[in-house]
Amino acid sequence: MNPATARKIDIYFLPVAVASYLAFWIVLAIRPLDRGDWLLENLLIFISVGVLGFTYRKFQFSNFSYGLILMFLVLHTIGAHYTYAKVPAGFWLQEWLHLSRNHYDRVVHFAFGFVLLFPMREVLLRSAKAHAPWATWLAVTALAALSSFFEIVEAVVAQIVRPELGAAYLGTQGDIWDAQKDMAAALVGAVLTACWLSVGSQQRKRSTK
Amino acid sequence: MSGPLISRRKRILALASICAGVWIIAAIHPLDRQAWLLENILLVAFVGALCLTHRRLELSEASYLLLAAFVILHIIGAHYTYARMPLGLWAKDLFHLSRNHYDRVAHGAFGFLLAFPVREILLRFSGIRRGWSFWLAPAVILAVSGVFEIVESAVAEIVAPGQGVDWLGGQGDEWDAQNDMLSALIGSLLMMAATALSNFGKKAP
Repeated sequence: MNPATARKIDIYFLPVAVASYLAFWIVLAIRPLDRGDWLLENLLIFISVGVLGFTYRKFQFSNFSYGLILMFLVLHTIGAHYTYAKVPAGFWLQEWLHLSRNHYDRVVHFAFGFVLLFPMREVLLRSAKAHAPWATWLAVTALAALSSFFEIVEAVVAQIVRPELGAAYLGTQGDIWDAQKDMAAALVGAVLTACWLSVGSQQRKRSTK
Repeated sequence: MSGPLISRRKRILALASICAGVWIIAAIHPLDRQAWLLENILLVAFVGALCLTHRRLELSEASYLLLAAFVILHIIGAHYTYARMPLGLWAKDLFHLSRNHYDRVAHGAFGFLLAFPVREILLRFSGIRRGWSFWLAPAVILAVSGVFEIVESAVAEIVAPGQGVDWLGGQGDEWDAQNDMLSALIGSLLMMAATALSNFGKKAP
């Protein structure tokens, strides 16, 4: 690839990626399975896109990070369209592995850690100025904290909106350890990427010696 | 700083011996030896890590004081299996609560007392900027709380499969894990607010 095309890709990547995501989002917004649930799930998208938009002038991620963030948002948008519990891919997985229920939400929790570790590490390196190895493991920590925070919010919402339904209300799909498993999935995802990045940076160090 | 009657080393040793004394008293007749052992795995790991890193970390005395306070709360909780801690039972009767909330208090204290030493470690070693430290210390607390809840659920499933939340700590509350994490988070944010306020206008980090 010559430098001129590389520069073009660099410049046009974000607008093209955001535009394609927007188109995808609109298609899935037309007839979601459950409009109320869709709205609730979309709060996450509105908040995260809003934060990214407002901080764009102060902090710009690399294109790679924006790609990863959009990838995660695509997964979540699909989940929101199908109320998570009815995502077709989750049913395939259920039949294929003989699972007790649709595990698409667990997959997305895993992806939260696995995919978002890199952008989180980038913020910690460039904005918080953390030293390289610390940034990687603080990113794991931050994602684990965010997934705990998400479970707290989910529980508070459930207790306020439908106290009589309790844990059966939202997301848990009848599993008493659902919150713990979701957090564990995100943690495992984040640790996997962190190990991968650490091994990569060690190899680079060795090769430059 | 020189001049105080006793050296820093002796003050920290005194703190450690107070903790050791409380631990010995609490170890004599715990209400439930098995639960006490389980809770003490955590304590031994924690105190062991502190002793091993003591030379390298050299935390401030304020941090060691806060850590000791948390260790003592946990020793007392372990002695009474948390659920039968007299102070918690007393509060339950006084305020007509549904259950003994001593463990919830301990979770809050975990955030409140440990956020300060965590922030100190982050500032000293990780290179992060001061403004970020006020958010990353609570993040560490919340992440550790989350991991604790994950481990607790895994232990519960191994020791008492099927009994679920009722076996350990849950005391019949289906949102126990989330409420525990929330109290740790609130505790840590309170401590960060207090630290920020007390450092306001000073050159302190």
